[in-house]
Amino acid sequence: MAQQFFYDNQVRRFITQFMRIVSGFQVEFGQGANGQRTLQQVPVIYGDPSRQASVILKQNSENMMNSVPAIAVYVSALDYDRERMQDPTFVSTINIRERAYDPVTGNYLPAPGDSYSIDRLMPVPYKLTIKVDIWTSNTEQKLQLWEQMATLFNPSIELQSTDNIVDWGSLTAVELKSTIWDSRTIPANADESISILTMQFEMPIWISSPAKVKRLGVITRVINSVYDGNGDLSLDAISGTTMMGRRATIFKDYYLSYMGNQLRIVNKNQLQYVFNGDFSKIDRWSDLITGYGDLRSGISEVRLRHPNGVSETVGTVAPHPTDESILLYSPNIDTLPANSIKAITAIIDPMTVNVDQMSLLTPSIGTRYLILNSIGSYNNSEAAEAWNANHPEFVANRNDIIEYTNNGWAVSFDAENSQAYQFVTNLTTGAQYKWDYQNTEWVKSVEGMYEPQDWSIVL
Amino acid sequence: MARISLWKDGRHSNDYKFIDRRISEMFTMGGTGILIHKYLGTHEQSDSTDPTKPAYTNQSELNIQDLLFVENRDRKYDPDIYKMRGIYQRQDTDFDLSQFGLFLQTGTIFMTFHINDMMDTIGRKLMAGDVLELEHLKDYHALNQDVPAALKRFYVIGDASFASEGFSPTWWPHLWRVKINPLVDSQEYKDILKTIVDGTADTKTADIMSSYGVYMNINNAVVAQAEKDVPLSGYDTSHIYLQPDYSGITTDDVKDTADDVTHSADDSTLSPSVKPAGYLVGDGVAPNGLDCGVGIEFPSNVANGEYFLRTDYLPNRLFRYNGKRWAAVEEKIRANLTLGSNNKTLRSTFVNNANTFTDIEGNTQPERQSLSKALKIQADN
Repeated sequence: MAQQFFYDNQVRRFITQFMRIVSGFQVEFGQGANGQRTLQQVPVIYGDPSRQASVILKQNSENMMNSVPAIAVYVSALDYDRERMQDPTFVSTINIRERAYDPVTGNYLPAPGDSYSIDRLMPVPYKLTIKVDIWTSNTEQKLQLWEQMATLFNPSIELQSTDNIVDWGSLTAVELKSTIWDSRTIPANADESISILTMQFEMPIWISSPAKVKRLGVITRVINSVYDGNGDLSLDAISGTTMMGRRATIFKDYYLSYMGNQLRIVNKNQLQYVFNGDFSKIDRWSDLITGYGDLRSGISEVRLRHPNGVSETVGTVAPHPTDESILLYSPNIDTLPANSIKAITAIIDPMTVNVDQMSLLTPSIGTRYLILNSIGSYNNSEAAEAWNANHPEFVANRNDIIEYTNNGWAVSFDAENSQAYQFVTNLTTGAQYKWDYQNTEWVKSVEGMYEPQDWSIVL
Repeated sequence: MARISLWKDGRHSNDYKFIDRRISEMFTMGGTGILIHKYLGTHEQSDSTDPTKPAYTNQSELNIQDLLFVENRDRKYDPDIYKMRGIYQRQDTDFDLSQFGLFLQTGTIFMTFHINDMMDTIGRKLMAGDVLELEHLKDYHALNQDVPAALKRFYVIGDASFASEGFSPTWWPHLWRVKINPLVDSQEYKDILKTIVDGTADTKTADIMSSYGVYMNINNAVVAQAEKDVPLSGYDTSHIYLQPDYSGITTDDVKDTADDVTHSADDSTLSPSVKPAGYLVGDGVAPNGLDCGVGIEFPSNVANGEYFLRTDYLPNRLFRYNGKRWAAVEEKIRANLTLGSNNKTLRSTFVNNANTFTDIEGNTQPERQSLSKALKIQADN
């Protein structure tokens, strides 16, 4: 299969710009019939035209007259420039964020738009040699043109093929290398050839392969090098407390509140309001995201790093229809933490449960409840009647998970003695909960307040 | 009995006259019509003070316009057109494709004229610089059907001499041989090509028959594309979005209204404090497409983060107000690259300079003066 075609008019653009450089010169004619001197701009054309096109320009007639003076520009050589060769495998990557673009008006807007990552392969160095032939009908005319052009090259002039800031091969310099004063010889004898002055220029140019342009995801967390300045493995990389130190480089000082399906950003100075239940003074998402790109509903992701340090919940976000301080969060169920405890049937408060309706006396084997208050007490000589049908002295503490077995109710998860994060799903609601052993409470598994370094956003 | 001799001791004998009339008749019968634009000399260069470029008052073909380079550039031609008959050998023509277009490879031809008829008609022999129009080579079928007139065939004489075949048995010459080359649209022939009206009242011969117009159109198209590729020197960064700068913002910076009560001073959005760094990127435009005032003095009642372009600086300088001072951000250094008055490069400010100044005597003087003439004493009259 043939390789993909590419052609970017690179040499054509250099020639075009070169012709621009030598365009616009004028010659002055002496006083004519009206006693006035006149100026005439000298046309510049490419000096290697096709015969067919030239015939058209001549009106397919022998009688059309060529115009003098005239300047012709043409390529006389294009050679690989071995001395300027650099690492052919070098790839330069630059990241650029554009302003938003309005396709209707064709204008850029004062707002952030797409961001791109551009990979550029080392371009190939060439030396482009261009000749400029100047045809004049008399010596004075030749001197007029030469004097104007001669001051332009001292000895070189910069030339750009594009004004695109990512095009690292666009800039070159045109250097005048030699001048041949006249194409005719002296004495001319019977020769009536036209007089041509030739100036030869050289341009060191770069010919580039196509670039790789990719949509840029904003990196909001940077992993430090695992090596220190001496090249040794950094202690940070192996320390349990500072493992691979992270930096919230973009959203520093911003906490993330995740409640229900709503995400809010909370500046550290605003935490006091949030702790008091006041969300009216927190920042808008747009204030934070502006400068990093557009929030794309259903595409932009928020990543929540769990305190267990090994898993991350990824979900897409969408703007709240009325409140700019809220993003609606849809976590990908596959990225939720894995359950470490067998799923529970329901969450119940044993102090308020309606015994008749709960069928507590005849549950099926394997029924599991997470209890919000204790059942019975070792300090109480009387057992809890509703729970002790087959287990006269059943006692369970608050936050335990109990399970009905062939021998009656038994404690399946002893919260009081658990020293690790645990995850369990409530089959009644489908919600997953996390046992926070440090704060000794059950919370939604991924909901809560995330510290700046524990969350990130990919737009 | 005298010996028979056609040479009559340098006299033009009756034999010569008999033969000459027959030759003239032959040209009348078999020659082709030639229109002659007679060279009269050069136009008076009345403004010349250079002895090598004399300001001749007597117009004559004997004058040389430039005594240094020995050339006549601004030639004057007789407005009258002379009709003669000439004879030449036709030959097939080919074109040479050169860097300046197509040239007739066998364009040079040799044509003979009857000397005495020539003297009677134009008053002198045909000479280098005289322009001939060969009427029978007029082309009525230009490719462009909209051309308002037939394309004429002009030649200019390069050399002239007696034709070897024009010597009769009397040893006197009867024919003048001229070497003629296709005419080009050059300075030397403007008096003809820019004078003769062709087709319509406003159309001159050069407008129809010269490649100048089409070449200029081609040149302009190339320059237009070049300007499209690179409108200004350097690099365009106007489409790049820059992060607004939140640093150093105080409560005074709050620009929100009562409707934005959820915002505090900490979340005010200001403009970026910097622009992309790089070679030749200064365009004097505020980043992110923000509004930017322009003038020669800073405005009052300015808000933090506002940009302003001072045009009294050269290059123009872009400032940003940061709450305490107008901080210089960049200089507007991107310039038009096409040679001309819009080009503001250093060299261009010397070349494209129409400025004037008033000297101590109240005379207006141009700023742009050739170094060879600057500060030289001027005549009072």
